[in-house]
Amino acid sequence: MPHNTERLGDLIDSLVPVLVERLHETGLGEIEIERDGAIVRVRAEDLNTPVASAPAPTAQRGGTPAAAAAAPSAADERRHPVRSTAVGFVKLAPDIHVGGKVAKGSLVATVDVLGVDVEVRADHGGIVAKLRCATGDPVEYGQELFLLESVGEGKL
Amino acid sequence: MIKRVLIANRGEIALRILRACRQLGIEAVVAYSEADRESRAVLVADEAICIGPADAKRSYLSAPAVISAALATGCDAIHPGYGFLSENAAFAEAAAAHGLTFIGPSAEVLERFESKAGVRALLAKHGLPTIPGSDGVVADETAAAKAAAKIGYPVILKASAGGGGRGMRVIQNADDLAQLFSLCTQEAQAAFGDGSLYLEKYLVDTHHVEVQIAVDKAGTALHFGERDCSVQRRHQKLVEESPSTALTPKVREEFLARAAKAIGAAGYRNLGTLEFLVGPDGKPYFIEINCRIQVEHPVTEAVTGVDLVALQIRLAAGELMPMTQAEVERRGHAIEFRLTAEDPAQEFRPQAGEITTFRSPSGPWVRFDSHLYAGYEVPPYYDSLLAKLIVWGNTREEAIARSRAALLEVEIDGVATTRDFFLGLLETPSFLNGTATTGMLDAIGTADILAAAPKARA
Repeated sequence: MPHNTERLGDLIDSLVPVLVERLHETGLGEIEIERDGAIVRVRAEDLNTPVASAPAPTAQRGGTPAAAAAAPSAADERRHPVRSTAVGFVKLAPDIHVGGKVAKGSLVATVDVLGVDVEVRADHGGIVAKLRCATGDPVEYGQELFLLESVGEGKL
Repeated sequence: MIKRVLIANRGEIALRILRACRQLGIEAVVAYSEADRESRAVLVADEAICIGPADAKRSYLSAPAVISAALATGCDAIHPGYGFLSENAAFAEAAAAHGLTFIGPSAEVLERFESKAGVRALLAKHGLPTIPGSDGVVADETAAAKAAAKIGYPVILKASAGGGGRGMRVIQNADDLAQLFSLCTQEAQAAFGDGSLYLEKYLVDTHHVEVQIAVDKAGTALHFGERDCSVQRRHQKLVEESPSTALTPKVREEFLARAAKAIGAAGYRNLGTLEFLVGPDGKPYFIEINCRIQVEHPVTEAVTGVDLVALQIRLAAGELMPMTQAEVERRGHAIEFRLTAEDPAQEFRPQAGEITTFRSPSGPWVRFDSHLYAGYEVPPYYDSLLAKLIVWGNTREEAIARSRAALLEVEIDGVATTRDFFLGLLETPSFLNGTATTGMLDAIGTADILAAAPKARA
């Protein structure tokens, strides 16, 4: 998808400060957000001192998140994919958005299987770090719906 | 018009259906369980969707999962293959209710042909001879004993909802019946969710001969010749061939024409197979119908040149029969060998594990339908079929000679297979002279057949 460089610049200017702040607030290792086909990712270099890699963080032009996959880090180990328990159309719970808090065992989504809602519950507590689907998407059994990042014992 | 098919099966038949779809210019999506993520059909498909865990009840046998997968991938039809949901009327009905074309008979037709006891009576009415048996389902042990006494022992007790060679027991005398009736009822209830039983006279030295038929929506019914599936182990087919050595030309043509006529008149639609036993009198007696594509369909494809899976899809899409009976020419002789992950030296014990070497045979008139590749892990959860070798020749002798050559080329390492059993079978006089009956393996024994196999290169 062709992208207007100016618009991308505006996007980064407006988004990055918000994302950096969100990193501090949540204690997440990384936040990624998609707007108008561009993916902006802010990653904390060190878990204690979150910084955005200036001037611009990862900004891809309509790229796929997988293309930017890095080697496993401490942050990856704290990440837990939440997977679909059925094949059908997914509906995410209202609090499932990047930065949203999830308690272990809570209902995070339902999968509509011929009109029957099949529950998806979180195996771990944590904060939503990355969404892999949107409400209404068709999903297969075992598909990763979103990534949860745990933020230390007892916080949630 | 069918545009996009969900293939709701696995193994070699998923590949076979995928090939038919591609040939017809129809898109296909392969539905798979977690255990089949690395299966060849999934790797080869343009699109695949995981429908559940390894447990078939939650994947290949789950009607909601399969239909939901079809809707999630934008399919307008489902091909169920064989086994699993292929003859399930409730599934066909649910698929139709969601606007999906079920590639097979409609729910209504499946329902009519669901009860084995009922179908026996229905087709007898339309002129097919049946083996003497109970008048439909037997209500209880007393009724069974009465029917058995009238027919004469031995009898075979069958689950009315059974299939695939399961849910049957040979009863030698009244004492056996008293002992086994309630056990059989329980087994049928557990296996098929329906404990109804019926019984038939048990014929010992029979050929199992079946007729491939197809019927379009207008009721035009054709046959595509017969297959002889007499080499069986515990009612499971091992080798199939066409034509049958048990029928004289005169009996054959009359029998095939009568079968096609009866099934059309009885209201059957789409592809199906009528199974018969040919007794020592050389006459076929109807036993049951299979409302699906069968494992051994390539034997018929080899002698007729008709692509049965493509025909099945076209008929399901509402097309009329694209040929006449006169245009179905049968030529030469074809044999199929079912190579399974079973160890014939150990009572055909099922095997699972990684395929370390895989070399498929080739050559003129040799077809090898298999989902294997080196490195593939045979999962322990499903049917043990690994590959089907189908060989054609101008004569039965030529087909047999070609089969030997092809079997010698097959190399599958990592799991024990039935290859050497077949090599031995091809040296066994009763198979070579075409007199092998369903009781053959009991009479000869697996060990002797294995011993007859040519020694492998050291």
